[in-house]
Amino acid sequence: MAASLREKQVVAIKKILNLNAPLVNSSTTEPVWKVLVYDKYGQDVISPVLAVKELRDLGVTLHMPLHAVRNTVPDAPAIYLCVPSDDNLRRICQDLADNVYDSYYFNFLAPISRQKLELLATAALQANCAASIKKVFDQYVHFISLEKDMFVLRHHDNETTSYYALNRGDVKDTEMDVMINSMVDSLFAVCVTLGTVPIIRCPRNNAAEMVAERLDRRLRENVRDARSSLFSGETLAGGQYAFQRPLLVVLDRNMDLATPLHHTWTYQALAHDVLDLRLNRVTVEETVGEDERRQTKTKTFDLAPTDEFWQQHKGSPFPMVAEAVQEELDKYRASEGEVKQLKHAMGLDGESDEAISLLSDNTAKLTSAVSSLPELLERKRLIDAHTTIATAILEHIKRRKLDAYFETEEKLLSRAAPERPLVELLRDPEMGSAADALRLFLMHYVSAEEVSSTELEQCVQALSERGADLSAVQFAKRWRMYNRMPTSANQYLGGGTKTVNMFSKLMSQGSQFVMEGVKNLVVKKHNLPVTRIVDALMEQKSLPEVEEFRYLDPKLLRPPGSEAQGARSRNTFQEAVVFVVGGGNYIEYQNLVDYTKSKTGTATKRVIYGCSDLQNASQFLKQLGQLGTEMQ
Amino acid sequence: MPSLDVQACRDRSGEFSAVVRALRERQQAAPAPAAAAARPAALSRHKEFMAVAKLIGRDISQTYSKLEKLTLLAKRRSLYEDRPMEIEELTRIIKQDMGSLNKQILQLQQLSRSPDGGKSVQSFSSNVVVTLQQKLANMSSQFKGVLEVRTENLRRQRSRREQFSRGGVSSNLPPSALSGFHQGSVLLADEAAARGDTVLELGADGQQQGQMLLMEEQDTYYQARSETMKNIESTVVELGAIFQQLAHMVHEQEEMVQRIDANVEDTSMNVEAAHSEILKYFQSVSSNRWLMVKVFGVLIVFFIVFVMFLT
Repeated sequence: MAASLREKQVVAIKKILNLNAPLVNSSTTEPVWKVLVYDKYGQDVISPVLAVKELRDLGVTLHMPLHAVRNTVPDAPAIYLCVPSDDNLRRICQDLADNVYDSYYFNFLAPISRQKLELLATAALQANCAASIKKVFDQYVHFISLEKDMFVLRHHDNETTSYYALNRGDVKDTEMDVMINSMVDSLFAVCVTLGTVPIIRCPRNNAAEMVAERLDRRLRENVRDARSSLFSGETLAGGQYAFQRPLLVVLDRNMDLATPLHHTWTYQALAHDVLDLRLNRVTVEETVGEDERRQTKTKTFDLAPTDEFWQQHKGSPFPMVAEAVQEELDKYRASEGEVKQLKHAMGLDGESDEAISLLSDNTAKLTSAVSSLPELLERKRLIDAHTTIATAILEHIKRRKLDAYFETEEKLLSRAAPERPLVELLRDPEMGSAADALRLFLMHYVSAEEVSSTELEQCVQALSERGADLSAVQFAKRWRMYNRMPTSANQYLGGGTKTVNMFSKLMSQGSQFVMEGVKNLVVKKHNLPVTRIVDALMEQKSLPEVEEFRYLDPKLLRPPGSEAQGARSRNTFQEAVVFVVGGGNYIEYQNLVDYTKSKTGTATKRVIYGCSDLQNASQFLKQLGQLGTEMQ
Repeated sequence: MPSLDVQACRDRSGEFSAVVRALRERQQAAPAPAAAAARPAALSRHKEFMAVAKLIGRDISQTYSKLEKLTLLAKRRSLYEDRPMEIEELTRIIKQDMGSLNKQILQLQQLSRSPDGGKSVQSFSSNVVVTLQQKLANMSSQFKGVLEVRTENLRRQRSRREQFSRGGVSSNLPPSALSGFHQGSVLLADEAAARGDTVLELGADGQQQGQMLLMEEQDTYYQARSETMKNIESTVVELGAIFQQLAHMVHEQEEMVQRIDANVEDTSMNVEAAHSEILKYFQSVSSNRWLMVKVFGVLIVFFIVFVMFLT
């Protein structure tokens, strides 16, 4: 099976850490002790994929930020991983002047320009240590792999390419240029890491088109340059799909404003929405103690790829997660019981007669129990972590009635009438916070066919009574005028929920997750707009939205600017990379993963989801609010 | 999975050295650049440390290759290709190596505690020691695994030999094994007492000559086997001691599951919080004129009281 994007990025990073030599997988080589110096972008790239233990295994004994105070460490090669910005280069030149390390291996996350290279060389000559700079590399790994098929471009400084920044009224051309270039750089890095030149499709007349055009130009230049092409190994790649090129779909957030505001019901998306989930790390606030002496403790948990429970359940609906945690807890208690029993049994068996075989059996069991103890402890730790996270999420759900919101929104999206009229729901003070009500209304407003002005007025009044910020509504009005795509009646096909009453087996088992009053909603499969578009493009179906998409192929021999009329590939695509300009979220990712799973069999598809940054609903709402206030 | 090679980089080192050369020629006319910043010479202890660390690293990798050879040998299962002497020899050597490596690493740890160089050097040294300890721990556990495999194979071979030879000695362990030292196998000692009688009885049971010879042959064979078992036992026990020590040392510095951005965020958060607290306090202090008046008042009162008290 072909390797995923994250695996390829990890291999590239390990090569960097191995002093740019190919990895040799043996423990008989002598260890070389190194020092790793990174800036905040390098930190973002490395931290979700390599833990400190793995760094130690590779021989990195010390890792420090670039701009911290660093003392000399002689006799150790230093590996630098940073972007070649002016600040960083200044600090590097200072390092060279101070002669901090013995040998330097520079790896720049973005290609370093000729002038900056000369600057570096001058500084090295002045400090008389040009010989200790062993290697200078341009690394094309400037993106953050959060999951094995999901990537984000930036974490720090993600305001520079956010939805707000791209859609501001007063954005200057130069700023726009800078933003688009940074996105193109990272997308180019993704293509290089994957090792293939994709076929690009994008809608017209928005930021996505600009990104796609520039990427196309960049890829074309690189492919033409036979001497130093980064894609020369493409045709030698192994795997079944060596001759198939993937499809890169660049979409714009403006196409679908409803999904980021959606109240969701799957574990990972809920954690991102309700708690603080950043770079695969969750921060949970726990209140301990009685009412007077309440202390809030914050705990952080890492949701690593080795966490099996998380990998299995991050896309499941929340009630299933609660049950699964309960099951895991039971299984753990059973294994713990076994170990205790064994300990007991060992004491008795020493006096029996047929002991030798039994003894060796017991020894084997004992050694296996001893070696499985750390495993058990690890499982306990994971179960504890997930219990805490799930409890915190449950608190939020109960307090803000998120299940009711979810149900209403699903009904809205599938064009069924909600149980109570919308205005009443917005007025009801028990239903969550004002922000939740605002989200519900905005979702309805941007996705409904028609909204009568009376309804609009009533809702606006209800919202202002609740104290919600209405500038976002202004922006939504304008958006609706310009950007609404003609929605067909069955846009959100097949949605809808079944409400199952909660006399669950959870309560009968006396579990901690007493979900009283929380409806056990079962989500039916439906496709969000992003998924539908990707499906249409991959299967070469024709949908009205997709008709107008541009087709760009960097490998074709044509002067840029003219459209390739008949040279389109007619095959269906098996691999796709989806990129959303202006912010993405876990809901779309989960939807794409579900879509991929449903397409197993002869037509297995792989879809990689990427976005310029991850926004949860409250952050997105804030940006919409800012855009609305600026309009006035 | 076959090993991936991902070419996601471009080597600019050639370009860099060309630029350096060009600039150097240009600078030939200009005055010679200043000498490199002098590094404090007091880092000699660190150099010593690094040299020892390199030696230990090399020893570990050599021992590792020996261990791999032993693994290959121990996995052989056929009855006739067995080379007990070689395996014994290798086991002994590896055991010695591990003991000496353990001592060396302890010494290295002592060296690393020297207050030399800056903070970076110290954390660097301690991390080097931890990594070496972990490597040794991994190797020890692998060694233990190999010994277990070997024991298993021995047992299996013994049972097969029993099947082929109908000497009918029904006990599972020969007497000589049971008379060995029992540090880790107290239970076996109990067995010994019970078992030993039966075997000797069988032996003294006036069997035919042929069977006696056969049994003697088997006896010597069993003795060799028992020696091996004894050695394995002692090795496992010693390994256990090493393990405990290693676990203690490794536990001292636990950073198993951290990520590199953990402390940075904490620290920056703390620094910001502290900064804001100080600012608040500063504001409260500087804007509190009454405080000054109060302080002066108290001082004057004390002064007066003091003066009156003295006079």
